[in-house]
Amino acid sequence: MDYFSFFNLPRRLALDVVALEKQFYVLSRKLHPDRFASKPVAEQEAALAESSLLNDAYRTLKDPIARTQYLLRLEGVELEEQSKAATDAARATGEQKKQIVPPELLEEVFELNMQLQEMRAANKMGEDEPELRRDLMTAKDTFDAKMVETQAELEGLWSVWDSGVDAGDEAAKSRAKDAMVVLLNKRSYLRNLVRDVNEALGV
Amino acid sequence: MAYSDKVVDHYNHPRNVGTLDKSAAEVGTGLVGAPECGDVMRLQIRVNPETNVIEDAKFKTFGCGSAIASSSLATEWVKGKTIDEAMAITNTDIVKELALPPVKIHCSVLAEDAIRAAIGDWKKKNNVAETATVAAAH
Repeated sequence: MDYFSFFNLPRRLALDVVALEKQFYVLSRKLHPDRFASKPVAEQEAALAESSLLNDAYRTLKDPIARTQYLLRLEGVELEEQSKAATDAARATGEQKKQIVPPELLEEVFELNMQLQEMRAANKMGEDEPELRRDLMTAKDTFDAKMVETQAELEGLWSVWDSGVDAGDEAAKSRAKDAMVVLLNKRSYLRNLVRDVNEALGV
Repeated sequence: MAYSDKVVDHYNHPRNVGTLDKSAAEVGTGLVGAPECGDVMRLQIRVNPETNVIEDAKFKTFGCGSAIASSSLATEWVKGKTIDEAMAITNTDIVKELALPPVKIHCSVLAEDAIRAAIGDWKKKNNVAETATVAAAH
């Protein structure tokens, strides 16, 4: 059973997290091991399994990114498979593989990683590089802002997907799905960068 | 998950880390990424214009041990090969050599992408038609 059906939810992405939480607590209480202490082992085990499914389902659905990724997987999106297939196609035709992420972003990611490496080396030597630190702070602000932007874009795509679900419009759903894949790919770079910059700056 | 000895060796002693002059005509640069994990890999080759032999290769990878090992191995392999020979390297070769587990196959895919992107860049700079190589490879 998939997580959406577990909570009796349609496969929509805009989700009432407060209602979800309430339902989670109600079900958690119902499945609490104490209630099954005097029951047959089979029933205890069933409740335990159900409870673990409940936890996974709740954890996945309450988080907007995990929810989106999960839905995409349910809808048959396999990011790694797609990337490998594109490489196979490029090899067969001798053409360049189309990179999923825009080249400018890759350049930016690469450059910033170079700076981060310098910063880490300086940190290790116990030196401070004020100029480098300043550059990284600026980069951090830029990438923080991009993360926020990405989030807003993603929520926009949710509503495209959800209206597609409501209207049974497969073309709209497929459009939203493709766009979400691109966006999440971009986001995984941003997320790593923000994490690494924070770590290097010690913030 | 344990890394194979070969991965550990490449990771601890990466071959050919560095940079070639991106603007030079005989240098091809490939910058590729694996969005699944946020890795980025830059692979550069210097090609002899007379012989089409890759005389030098450098890489710089920000990513996990397998990604570093895959790109390190890729630079070792392309060195001394002609462009056409280098185009024949596949991710499967890399997986086998490094004994990469299934979850790390995308690292080898990235390295193959990087080789092809570097060659593609060199070809574009030197006006070599993409299809010519394919015909020659068959």
